[in-house]
Amino acid sequence: MGGGLIMIVFDRVNKYYGDFHVLKDINLTIKKGEVVVVIGPSGSGKSTLLRCINRLETISEGSLSINGLNVADKKTDINKLRRNIGMVFQHFHLYPHKTVLENIMLAPKKVLGQSVEEAKKIALKYLDKVGIGDKANSFPSQLSGGQQQRVAIARGLAMGPEIMLFDEPTSALDPEMIGEVLDVMKALAHEGMTMVVVTHEMGFAREVADRIVFMDEGRVLEEASPAEFYANPREERARLFLSRILNH
Amino acid sequence: MLKKKKWLKLSLLSLLAVILLAGCGGGNDSDKAEEGGGKDKEKDVLAQVKEKDKIVFGVKNDTRLFGLKNPSTGDVEGFDIDIAKALAAEILGDENKVEFKEVTSKTRMALLNNGDIDAIVATMTITEDRKKEVDFTDVYFDAGQSLLVKKGSDIKGIDSLKGKKVLAVKGSTSSINIREKAPEAQVLEFENYSEAFAALKSGQGDALTTDDSILYGMADEDPSYELVGGTFTEEPYGIAVKKGNTDFVDELNKALKSLKDSGKYDEIHDKWIKH
Amino acid sequence: MLDFSILTENLDMYLLGFKNTIMSSLIALVASLILGVLIAIMRIAPIKPLNWLGTAYVEFIRNIPLLIITFFFFLGLKLSGLYAGTLALTIYTSSFIAEAIRAGILSVPKGQMEAARSSGLTYGQAMRLVILPQAVKIVIPPLGNQFINLVKNSSILAVVAGLDLMYHGDLISSRTFVVFDVYIFVAAFYLILTIPLSFGVGYLEKRLAKSN
Repeated sequence: MGGGLIMIVFDRVNKYYGDFHVLKDINLTIKKGEVVVVIGPSGSGKSTLLRCINRLETISEGSLSINGLNVADKKTDINKLRRNIGMVFQHFHLYPHKTVLENIMLAPKKVLGQSVEEAKKIALKYLDKVGIGDKANSFPSQLSGGQQQRVAIARGLAMGPEIMLFDEPTSALDPEMIGEVLDVMKALAHEGMTMVVVTHEMGFAREVADRIVFMDEGRVLEEASPAEFYANPREERARLFLSRILNH
Repeated sequence: MLKKKKWLKLSLLSLLAVILLAGCGGGNDSDKAEEGGGKDKEKDVLAQVKEKDKIVFGVKNDTRLFGLKNPSTGDVEGFDIDIAKALAAEILGDENKVEFKEVTSKTRMALLNNGDIDAIVATMTITEDRKKEVDFTDVYFDAGQSLLVKKGSDIKGIDSLKGKKVLAVKGSTSSINIREKAPEAQVLEFENYSEAFAALKSGQGDALTTDDSILYGMADEDPSYELVGGTFTEEPYGIAVKKGNTDFVDELNKALKSLKDSGKYDEIHDKWIKH
Repeated sequence: MLDFSILTENLDMYLLGFKNTIMSSLIALVASLILGVLIAIMRIAPIKPLNWLGTAYVEFIRNIPLLIITFFFFLGLKLSGLYAGTLALTIYTSSFIAEAIRAGILSVPKGQMEAARSSGLTYGQAMRLVILPQAVKIVIPPLGNQFINLVKNSSILAVVAGLDLMYHGDLISSRTFVVFDVYIFVAAFYLILTIPLSFGVGYLEKRLAKSN
């Protein structure tokens, strides 16, 4: 949990959508093996922050680097960078016209040049790991939400990335399926994967996060270990947010 | 394979449906005019003309010297037009008791037969085949089919058309004649003279064939084109009237004779035909 | 009742025209599809000058009557009737196909592209492997309609002596002085082409839907 190698660095990052200042002066460092959970009210910019890491969103000012590579630089091979970063979306975004196995095998085959046998072996391995080895030949539409999301995680892992990003991975799931997905993520965390997770799941954060990053209105207002954060949030707005979330 | 059979059945059924529907609708253009004087429903054309006190003539709008629309005035001008007006003057007493409707070689028969026009004065050649469909007056102009080529072309006449492309207008006697008289030529037919001439000018053909009268109009417009080989057919123009209306034909013939006797015919002829 | 002798006595002309209409339609169909896909991708690709070119093409071509495009090739570029007509048909139809394909591509959820790109696939790979296969299903019905329109529009060849079905219908009509019956038979020949096309498209739709 949290080695010394620095992987992701946000340095005075600002982002504007036209006149709207969506990310304000972000300074954030994430080390290899760290599990960072980003929380905050909606509109706080947490998803945007996450999506900047693999350049699904671009930054307007400042610098963002991954393993020393400047993400915003035009000369950076963004496709190569993305091979090393897996992403899991709120709405899964599995490819509906391909089977579960094909979904997972696609990128390793086409991007890493793996043979069909290689890719299949690895895909089945990760499919087993997320607990649905028996659904290899099903189509996404035949799976439940929780199963689809687990396939999405396997799809991300099959590329062998160093970093995994999760954008509200359980927000679109029925309550009874949230657990199975969180379990997979917890296992990943325990294995030492560098993870950045945007979520509302406080239990998950408390269990596996190394650090909580609280955002509001585009700013990082507070960073602390889960223990510190939940026991005694320093910021007024953090306290307000927590109380609202925890008192359902 | 079951699906294929289903399509086949459905396609055949639809086809059948269309043809049956068409049968019920009934074609009118292939109907010959009624036998003898069975004019119980319709008044004959002459009576209608007298009743509305004007004659509706079908004329060309695209043929220089015979029937051409003047873009600045919007009026149609030409030999056919002046003859038509003169006929109206003879029959109804006033050359302005006319209405002109545009026809093409393709549309003139249909318009005559469904009553849109009373008579065709549109560079129409009298032929035996056509006499079966309509009634003609006496000849009012003698034309002959010829060839129009670019000046300097190696085509000298009807005999030098082997392997050449000849352009004509759909529905004209010229298109039928040229196929008979020059079977080694390839014939392409167009909607009207304007398009045929445009096609000739843009190199889509080596020669254009129709009545010399019409060709003179084109050479008039673009002097880099000339007529060659003289005429190789006789094209007597007649005024066409819906079959069975012999009294109207008689009236028109009487009027024509009167124009010829009075010198009015020559006046009109010399105005337009300089050749 | 219909005068079937019109059909039997002129069968050779009807068939010659029918054959040319089939040939012209087939060539235009394949060519306009290829061209349409290219133009659609130009409009969608993240390269501004290509976007502009593609949009200009579509807006210009689909708002001009087919007849004028045909005359341009026939009189302007001086191609012979059959070629001018087929080329005009291709260009004209391609603009509608480009639009149908673009709409189909845009209706694939944005997340699909994001998921594909996030795993390291290039834009081209994402298009080819993820987006276009999904777009195909959506695009089949409107494409089918465009192809049926294409077959009907091929009658434009008649105006430039393209020796197609309609041209021969015109010739037969002007020679026999019959209009109605002649063109009913022409219509029947067109139906022989368009009805199977409709069924073919429907069949394709069903088969693609099954693979979901």
